[in-house]
Amino acid sequence: MTMPDGILCAKTHEWILEEDNKATIGLTDYAIEQLGDIVFIELPEVGASYAKEEVFATIESVKAASEIYMPVSGKIIEVNEKLTNSPELLNEDAFENWLVKIECDNFQQDSQGLLEYNDYKDEVQ
Amino acid sequence: MEENKKTALYDEHIKLKAKMVPFEGWLMPVQYEGIIKEHNATRNHAGLFDVSHMGEIYIKGRESFNFLQSIVPQDLTSLAKGAAIYCQLPDKEGGLIDDLIIYNSKGIIDEIDYFAVINASRIKEDIEFIKKEALNFDVEIINKSDDFSMLALQGPKAKDIIEKLGVIKSAQPKFFTFIKTTLDNIPVLLTRTGYTGEDGFEIIFENKYASDLWNKILSYKEYNVTPVGLGARDTLRLEAGLPLYGHELNEYTTPLESSLGFFIPKDKKEDYNGKKIILAQKLKQMPLRRKLFAFVMQEKQIARNGYEVYIKGKKAGIVTSGAPSPTLGKNIGFCMIEYNLLEAETIEKLNNPQESIGMDIQVMVRNKLYNAQIVKKPFVKKNYIK
Repeated sequence: MTMPDGILCAKTHEWILEEDNKATIGLTDYAIEQLGDIVFIELPEVGASYAKEEVFATIESVKAASEIYMPVSGKIIEVNEKLTNSPELLNEDAFENWLVKIECDNFQQDSQGLLEYNDYKDEVQ
Repeated sequence: MEENKKTALYDEHIKLKAKMVPFEGWLMPVQYEGIIKEHNATRNHAGLFDVSHMGEIYIKGRESFNFLQSIVPQDLTSLAKGAAIYCQLPDKEGGLIDDLIIYNSKGIIDEIDYFAVINASRIKEDIEFIKKEALNFDVEIINKSDDFSMLALQGPKAKDIIEKLGVIKSAQPKFFTFIKTTLDNIPVLLTRTGYTGEDGFEIIFENKYASDLWNKILSYKEYNVTPVGLGARDTLRLEAGLPLYGHELNEYTTPLESSLGFFIPKDKKEDYNGKKIILAQKLKQMPLRRKLFAFVMQEKQIARNGYEVYIKGKKAGIVTSGAPSPTLGKNIGFCMIEYNLLEAETIEKLNNPQESIGMDIQVMVRNKLYNAQIVKKPFVKKNYIK
């Protein structure tokens, strides 16, 4: 597991790593472990904009479909296409296999309320 | 809300780090190491399931046979001692209260003529209904659901493990029969039945032996026997084309409408609840109001229970069960097509297997329609040893 330094997490299990107003978003290892075998992921189109807490993707385990929410608002600038064909990669490494990269609208303001990884773990476990 | 019940194996599941979920009033393992791994282990080696939540009923008395004949469409005349039969429990209108397996236990269980295994989710309704029906007969109904634990041992290696436990292959019960025996000195009813499409057994015994038998079976590492949760139980039964009460079967749906026509005899003499409707549908003298179909998604999207189904762009029904099939690598499901939503021409096609198999339908996934195709069930060939 290659957890990057400085990530923030939403209680809805997304992680985000920001640098120069651009951010990488993924799902936490805890969320993936809870979901079990990942068999499908639907990622958004590049160029689409989403508000904080809006659904931007769907992930499915064998058992059920779950929605993925934007931890901050922004515009999709890249999606991890590799996952569309091999969603099971998420079971191997939740941090290396990011979902989307975005251009943030207002990271400073939107990131209020996001948790550091250890606090997130305490919160959800 | 009542607290969820625990089976006698609850502590064993926790020790194995199972993910426990509430299911029909029970706290049950949904998975141990992973649904796909457990699914494949059952198809390729052996899977061990705690199915103690299932209900058991004893039926005894002078009129046991006549009574059962009056509540199931199946003809129990030819059900020999030690044999089992898959049955449905219809109400007066032919809708299903439950589906169940009835075992002829005369001379096998002391004083008990028959026993039945029923769905966990329907124990209360079944007992209430059956006891009411039994008022007109000299028969006693005993709910044994809390007294017994039940394990399912399924897969190609199941027979080898049962042999290890003390019942050699030639002494093992044949498909849909059962024996009273001991496994590792534990008194059990050993039945050659299951819910996976694989050869295998179901084992019924007193709760106090549950941990011993569970751990004994899992100790046979040479057979790669794996504990399996409800998640893989669902994908296994779905691949095998087996219906689940509350999904493919319910009170609004007759056996014919749930595509169980194969199990309905044309020539049973005795009357039974719903016979007029069930038999008329079997003989094609009465139209179906809806019908269950198996389908395979043609795209990556997974159909799930409750999703809408469309035919030629018009809403036609709902998905009753849907999941990825680990064996096929495709997404499969069952759907209930409501005939009152369709034109006569489409219904005619659906009722003709030569035209319905291969028919295109669409499933609504997150507000978009995706193509699927009606197929013949089962999705995966059954490996029963008959």
